[in-house]
Amino acid sequence: MRIGSRSVAIMYSMGLLLIVLFLIDLRLGSIRISLGEIVGHLWGGEKLSDQQVVILTKFRLPRLATALLAGAALPVCGLQMQTLFRNPLAGPYVLGISSGASFGAALVVLGAGAAGIVATWSLAIAAWIGAGTVMLLLLFVSYRIKEVMTILILGIMFSSGLAAVISIMQYFSEASALKSFVIWSMGSLGNVTGSQLSIMTWAITPVLLVTLGYSKVLNGLMLGEEYAASMGIRIERTRIIIFATTSILAGTITAFCGPIGFIGIAVPHMVRFLFRRSDHRILMPATMLTGMVVMVLSDIVSQLPGTERILPINAVTSLIGIPVVIWLVIMNRKAQSL
Amino acid sequence: MDRTGKDHIISLEKLSIGYQPAFALLEEINLTVGPGEMVALIGRNGTGKSTLLKSMIGLIPSLGGLCRLEGRSITQFDLPARARLVSFVSSQIAQLPSLTVREVVALGRLPYTGWMGRMDRTDLALVDQALEEVQLLSFADRKLDRLSDGERQRAMIARAFVQDTRLMVLDEPTAFLDIPNTFDLIRLLSRFRDGGKSIVYSTHDLETAMQCADKMWVIHEGKILEGAPEDLGLSGLFDEVFRSSGINYDEHSGKFLFKGICLGSVRLEGKKDRAFSWTVNALERLGYSLDSQGEIQLSIKPSDAAYQWTLEKNGSSKSFTSLYKLARFLTQGK
Repeated sequence: MRIGSRSVAIMYSMGLLLIVLFLIDLRLGSIRISLGEIVGHLWGGEKLSDQQVVILTKFRLPRLATALLAGAALPVCGLQMQTLFRNPLAGPYVLGISSGASFGAALVVLGAGAAGIVATWSLAIAAWIGAGTVMLLLLFVSYRIKEVMTILILGIMFSSGLAAVISIMQYFSEASALKSFVIWSMGSLGNVTGSQLSIMTWAITPVLLVTLGYSKVLNGLMLGEEYAASMGIRIERTRIIIFATTSILAGTITAFCGPIGFIGIAVPHMVRFLFRRSDHRILMPATMLTGMVVMVLSDIVSQLPGTERILPINAVTSLIGIPVVIWLVIMNRKAQSL
Repeated sequence: MDRTGKDHIISLEKLSIGYQPAFALLEEINLTVGPGEMVALIGRNGTGKSTLLKSMIGLIPSLGGLCRLEGRSITQFDLPARARLVSFVSSQIAQLPSLTVREVVALGRLPYTGWMGRMDRTDLALVDQALEEVQLLSFADRKLDRLSDGERQRAMIARAFVQDTRLMVLDEPTAFLDIPNTFDLIRLLSRFRDGGKSIVYSTHDLETAMQCADKMWVIHEGKILEGAPEDLGLSGLFDEVFRSSGINYDEHSGKFLFKGICLGSVRLEGKKDRAFSWTVNALERLGYSLDSQGEIQLSIKPSDAAYQWTLEKNGSSKSFTSLYKLARFLTQGK
């Protein structure tokens, strides 16, 4: 269970790649700002124009920060769910968190649709409440039901049920409201600004630290709950902490950015493939780092360099994630397993 | 005996187990495990062997009564503290493709390491020792799914070994193993016992258990009986346990006879050599008993090929060149 030079080397390369992608992403956009100009501005050389400063600090940096947070948080949720349920197809949304968030968002957008444009704030809060309600329900259920696979099935059934309700609401809503909701459900990294970003940061960073501290326990869970209990792991407490952290992370990201598909499932598999390890003390930080890389890359792709159009991030992450998973499954059948 | 059960690693007092209070599998269980003792738990499928083992060490709640671990109720233990006294090997074969043998074994140190699970030199040395103990040192970096059932089971046992507990509980450790692997495993457990550990394991394999266990717990008709294997044999328990299942237990030899009915008696003549004992096996398998007054006379003589068996019955005689041919004749004759 030593870290190993291979893991360290990959970790450094990932870090480097992240910095490079971050800088590339910072330059992208309809208004060209070169890295030289940014460095010059910071070092007291030639100043950027006020407009350029606004674009950087109000748009590009917050969007990148959002990408980093989402990129770290969602794959961690996926990793936790895959280990807890011992199911390679589990992701951050298997518990119904995104359906809860969507339901909250749908209530606001489709319910208030007639009243006109809905503020991002109320949308985020409603989605957050929706995800939080699902989480409380889940904790209650997991307290009553001992069998963890039953919880998985309940989660899947619950989210399908909510999806059905949402589709009924969509059917009866007005065209403009429907469009806002559909756009929300396509995901976006660009809507998180100022105080929302700081709320998101405060909600996510401490929870990510908690999940890092739970790496050892997740290792114990790999043998199943019975073995874990026999090795001194408090199963009920562990399960509650895993559900709560997953709900907070996935719920917060979904509330502010909309559902972002696939990186939660795909990144843990990429990491297992790259690092060839199963030790969560390596997997956990590696998943965060790789997730950030993939998310920033997705953001770059979504801006369709050379055009002024921006693709919905949900579609981009799926289009990047799916081939990776297919490739991993075909090249290395073990990627299916944990 | 000390009333609080401090002399025992485990003492069960009026323990009742099961999954629902209305349907207890076993009630009023009073059993003990002493230090350095190997206990074999025997019982048919569905009688509650696994439930007993798991209830005993607190993995599932019991329905009533008390289970003491070193004199203290098992429910009073903090989980890591309990994990430093009892280790467990499940009957399920763990499917963990991407863990190496060494990683699985190292997990046994979880109750001892800090929150980040850092292992120091003694932890690592213990892992190596365990791998050597179960003869998996050369497989240490192999993934678990590249091992045979027997090797995987040994890896799980090595993991329990590094947990460094006074008591090791194993649920049907030999269930998926062939005969040589079963013997290897039992020998390994006996070595742990000789090293001072207490072992409790469940099994269907009465014959092996009789040869190695210090004590047996036998579940029969909703009750559980405790004693040295010979004590239980002497009490006629095994005969009673297996009679209902159509298997005859030969009290003299301690062997099972699968044919329920006796087809006849044979007077066997010849040198008491290998051919003789294999012939006895064949006759037992076919359901014939040996008797010096037997109605059938069978003699064995060495011949050019190997051996020749001559059978005489009611004045007529017939010779065979293999036990197979003899057996065919005997089974067709009935």
